[in-house]
Amino acid sequence: MLGIEAHRGTMSSVDATDETRVKKSIMNSSIEDKRLHWSRLHRFKTTHRLYIYLMGSLAILQIIAIAFFSKGFLLTRNVLENVSTESHYEPKFSKCVILVIDALRFDFTIPVDTDYVSYDANFHNNFDVFHPNEDSQSSLLLKFIADPPTTTLQRLKGLTTGSLPTFIDAGSNFDGSVIEEDNLILQMFRNNKTVYFAGDDTWDALFSPFLSPSSRPFESLNVWDLDTVDNGVMSFFDEHLLSENSNTNGWDVLIGHMLGIDHVGHKYGPGHFTMREKQLQANAFIKRICDKIDEETLFIVMGDHGMDHTGNHGGDSKAELEAALWLYSKKPKMWKHMTSSNYNTSDLGEEYRQVNQIDLVPTLSLLLGLPIPFNNLGWPIDEVATTTDELKAYNNITLNQIRDYKEVSKVITDSTKDERLQELWSKSLLDISVGSEYQKYFLESCKDLWARFDYWSIATGIALLTASLLLLIIVTKLIPSIVIGQMVSEFVPSITIMSLVSNVCFNGIFHVLHQPVFLENWIWCTLFATAIGIIVGCFITIFDRYNVAWISRKFVEDLSDYWSRIAALFITLHALLFTSNSFTIWEDKIVSFFLATLGMLTLYEFMFLPKRRLTTALLTAAMGEKKPSPLGKAHLASEAESSPFGKFARIVGGYHSIVLVVCTRLSSMITICREEQGEYCTPTFTTANNYSYWCLTLCLVVVAFLPSCLRGYYNVCSSYQAAAPIWIGQFLRYVLLTNFCYWTICALENTIPGWSWDAKILKLTISRIVAGFSLIAANVGWMMGPLCVKLNIHNTDVKSQQATILGYANVYGAQFFLLVINFFMCIMLFNKPLAQISLFLMCNQLLSILEIFDLLKLKDNLIGPVTMGLLAYQQFFATGHQATIPAVQWDVGFVLTERIKFPFTHLGIVMNTFGPHIIVALSVALLTLWKQPPTVLKPQTLLARIVSNCGMLLIYNTVLCLSSFVWVTHFRRHLMVWKIFCPRFMFAGLSLIVIQVVITLVTIAFASGRLIRQINNLFWN
Amino acid sequence: MPVKKRGMKKSVSFSDDETLTRVRQSNDKKHNASPDGPPVYVKKTVHTVPLHLVGLLYYFIKLSDSYDCVTLLYLLVPLQIAYLALQFNRNTVYGHKVLKLRLSLVPISLGAALILTIPCMLIIILLGAPIAMLLQKTWLLAAHCCFLGLPAVYSVFNCNFKVGIFKKYFVAIAVGCWISCVVIPLDWDRDWQEWPTPLVVGAYLGAFVGYTVGPYI
Repeated sequence: MLGIEAHRGTMSSVDATDETRVKKSIMNSSIEDKRLHWSRLHRFKTTHRLYIYLMGSLAILQIIAIAFFSKGFLLTRNVLENVSTESHYEPKFSKCVILVIDALRFDFTIPVDTDYVSYDANFHNNFDVFHPNEDSQSSLLLKFIADPPTTTLQRLKGLTTGSLPTFIDAGSNFDGSVIEEDNLILQMFRNNKTVYFAGDDTWDALFSPFLSPSSRPFESLNVWDLDTVDNGVMSFFDEHLLSENSNTNGWDVLIGHMLGIDHVGHKYGPGHFTMREKQLQANAFIKRICDKIDEETLFIVMGDHGMDHTGNHGGDSKAELEAALWLYSKKPKMWKHMTSSNYNTSDLGEEYRQVNQIDLVPTLSLLLGLPIPFNNLGWPIDEVATTTDELKAYNNITLNQIRDYKEVSKVITDSTKDERLQELWSKSLLDISVGSEYQKYFLESCKDLWARFDYWSIATGIALLTASLLLLIIVTKLIPSIVIGQMVSEFVPSITIMSLVSNVCFNGIFHVLHQPVFLENWIWCTLFATAIGIIVGCFITIFDRYNVAWISRKFVEDLSDYWSRIAALFITLHALLFTSNSFTIWEDKIVSFFLATLGMLTLYEFMFLPKRRLTTALLTAAMGEKKPSPLGKAHLASEAESSPFGKFARIVGGYHSIVLVVCTRLSSMITICREEQGEYCTPTFTTANNYSYWCLTLCLVVVAFLPSCLRGYYNVCSSYQAAAPIWIGQFLRYVLLTNFCYWTICALENTIPGWSWDAKILKLTISRIVAGFSLIAANVGWMMGPLCVKLNIHNTDVKSQQATILGYANVYGAQFFLLVINFFMCIMLFNKPLAQISLFLMCNQLLSILEIFDLLKLKDNLIGPVTMGLLAYQQFFATGHQATIPAVQWDVGFVLTERIKFPFTHLGIVMNTFGPHIIVALSVALLTLWKQPPTVLKPQTLLARIVSNCGMLLIYNTVLCLSSFVWVTHFRRHLMVWKIFCPRFMFAGLSLIVIQVVITLVTIAFASGRLIRQINNLFWN
Repeated sequence: MPVKKRGMKKSVSFSDDETLTRVRQSNDKKHNASPDGPPVYVKKTVHTVPLHLVGLLYYFIKLSDSYDCVTLLYLLVPLQIAYLALQFNRNTVYGHKVLKLRLSLVPISLGAALILTIPCMLIIILLGAPIAMLLQKTWLLAAHCCFLGLPAVYSVFNCNFKVGIFKKYFVAIAVGCWISCVVIPLDWDRDWQEWPTPLVVGAYLGAFVGYTVGPYI
């Protein structure tokens, strides 16, 4: 294989012995040539700049479209600032201790039979303080149902205001700002109760004005730190409650929020021995508090949410929603338990009595004699009322509060609903037990309503994105890339002028008339105007030369060949996945099925060479290759060129197809299952597997094997020269080895129970070295222009000075791939061991795809970028991701830093989540550059083709994004919208933005221009 | 799908790249097709419509006990041989004449179909079928696919692998399977969504369409 292809690579011979002399001889050739060269280079520079501007404006247009749609779809609830003032009821307790144990799932707290199927000693039966015993009368354990999303910020809001969260809040989990609504803590503050707090600093962000200055918040989002917060809470409680000389008079309400169990869940998953340790620790702590409090003190322990089988939370699966609530008092007979069948703990408490989390708000208010917060929608828990009269009174107060809220907020606009509520209201005036029905009905109506959308913004977003899709199709696909090269100089001024004009118009109208209303403020108005300007500017230029008829004819024509149709079919099918929740759930399997099918199709192609209509693109590609007159080429090679499907090429192509299919199948075995996939999917991307010995061994094999694999691909064109051995053989190998050390330390920390050595500093050092090297040092090195060619002088005869350039055929591709390697090294660092194996397979898939489409001469076809796009999605799922919020691997945010620090934490999460997309967005240029010998195509042509390929990848992703926009709007009332469609649309939008940014800034602006300039300087003739 | 294995051995059609390999192409065409009619082709008649497949499908969907693939396979094999002998072979023209069924070739092609189940199963697994679980069922699916292709296998043997026109029958079966995958992820919880029932149905439909319209394309 090598020998034959190497001949292909030795097409050019020059009279020189080294690069500088080549250059010199060229420069000295003649004045005329020199001038020609410089003017060509200058033209290229200008064109390149204009291209960046054009692609940049399209990127801005798409980002604006996504922003508008998100603004319309992800609504926030209208917050009322009214505050309740009256309290009608005598308090039962004067003091209160609240202990929030983050992620205290309900089944942690009940006794579980050791023979039970899903029994796990790591997290069951450790909290014996909650189990029924002789002291049961003083305590009350309830199943505590959270409202999704189950993230701590939303839960705290719900637990204190009694209201419902909206989806957008989940995104702002990281920057909670002071709560504006009436809430429990505010009521405590207004009623002169001193609130001491220790624990999760989300509380401090939400309630800081109402908490006592003695409170002690702790950094909460570093999930790798299991103990700091818990120890802080315990020492705070020691000071103020537990120890002999503690000052218990300073506070009326003492709140603690422990994070240990939640963090163990995030870091290791529930089935880990540290979970048992943390649970036993919390259990002992609760016992100490129980012993210490007096009769006037109410003690509440609760979980804010549960955790799923992987230990994460955020969604709305049963395990995430079911938390525990435990009330304890030393006063006798405070709780009126129902019949014992309500507290059935068998079957993990399947039948156990449950209350909503918001029900705690009126309950606690009534017990402490506070006014019920104004926005509350909850209902008091029956058990806290000891007599029937008391229950009636409680219900009455709450009913009045909810009624007040309804009247003031006027949330119910639907007349039938309003009538039904009126009816229930009058009924409940007669019989208060109907009151709970009123509350339930009102709650349901509110839940419906707060998913109300801003249709103007949604429509604007969809329209803008559709326009951007049309522009992308026309600019990068339909208009021949050569023509676009000339047209960019018309696009740019047109876009600039039209943006300015439309900004002036819209801002003027908006400022004077405040129309259109949905734009809200001048920022949105400017964005809207800019988007319109870009669209108009582009279309003016396009319609200056072409008309609709030509464009539609060209569109049909472009889809007339077999491979384009296959590609269009895959785009359509992928976009249609969002029409059903089942398809969206199974997207991971479907995408890998598509990619494997593509592999099979190319395999079929290489085996049978079916008759295909020749496309113009194919023809030009083949003609372009033929241009340089081959000097002294082997017979086989020339045959391979005249027919793209020589026997040898067919075998090679078949081999690459098989590599693609097999790698796809292997990597698709790595999956973190969606909760909805249920029994049909067994998760393999688990903490146990990630840190297991076999996985680490495989990682070590990857470290040893990946450089050799890449070397194999380079050797096809004998490009493994000069810079390539340094980059692949040294940089990549050692970075991977260092990276392996990092993850080995992580694994050891995870798996060895008695691990006491603190490797924090070492780990941070390693990770920063790897990230710094791969992102900064290696890229700066790449800017120096590492060539992968070598002069091979095989004539001993000194006079003739004949030299062969090894790696000539792939001089662009080989060098460009080094840049991909830089990013690849960085992405490897931010991925867990199993995902690293998957990324290794991705490298092979990627290079095989490049080889396949090179052999098939489909370098300009739609199929190339579409396959790349499919690869990105397939690898997204194979690196342990799903399009859901709990599946985001937040913990990799702490690879570079210990606490949240912009941009390092964000960099980690982006590199982890969008790693495959970034790699693909970079290497889509390789479709053009791989095996592209210099001096065949003009620099402008080359750049135009790269832009065209990049554009096709963008088209694919835009279609997906647009489809997810349309379908999430269509399914806005669907049961699963917040669980399935909405996260998918957010993922589609984000991945489009990431791809846009990478393509525009790195692929086109940074890499292509520099690479083409350098190679043309060298090989210009 | 098994056709892929078969063709690799003896396929003679080279590139049909019209501008680049014009010379070659005209040579190739001698095997496949000449202007006045191909030497090997299937007659365009309604006699090739495989009605037995419809019957089998009806049995499989309506009558059989919880979609019994095994019994279906037992029924398929003799019916396919009968179809080959009575319908398919009678309408296949080898160089202007219809050959009688060569009985010696029937067991050979049966054996070949059986052997083909292994690569076919491999392809199904590569496209995403579970690896360890349900292996037997995957094999059953592969067997159905291969025996559905039996007439084509026989014909390929009969003309000594020299003709590529029978590929389309295998492709039709594969496409039928591929399309039928669409129902697998749906959450309807029907028993016919169980592996490999939809794919078997898809293969039968694909084969039906393939044998019916095969001569025309």
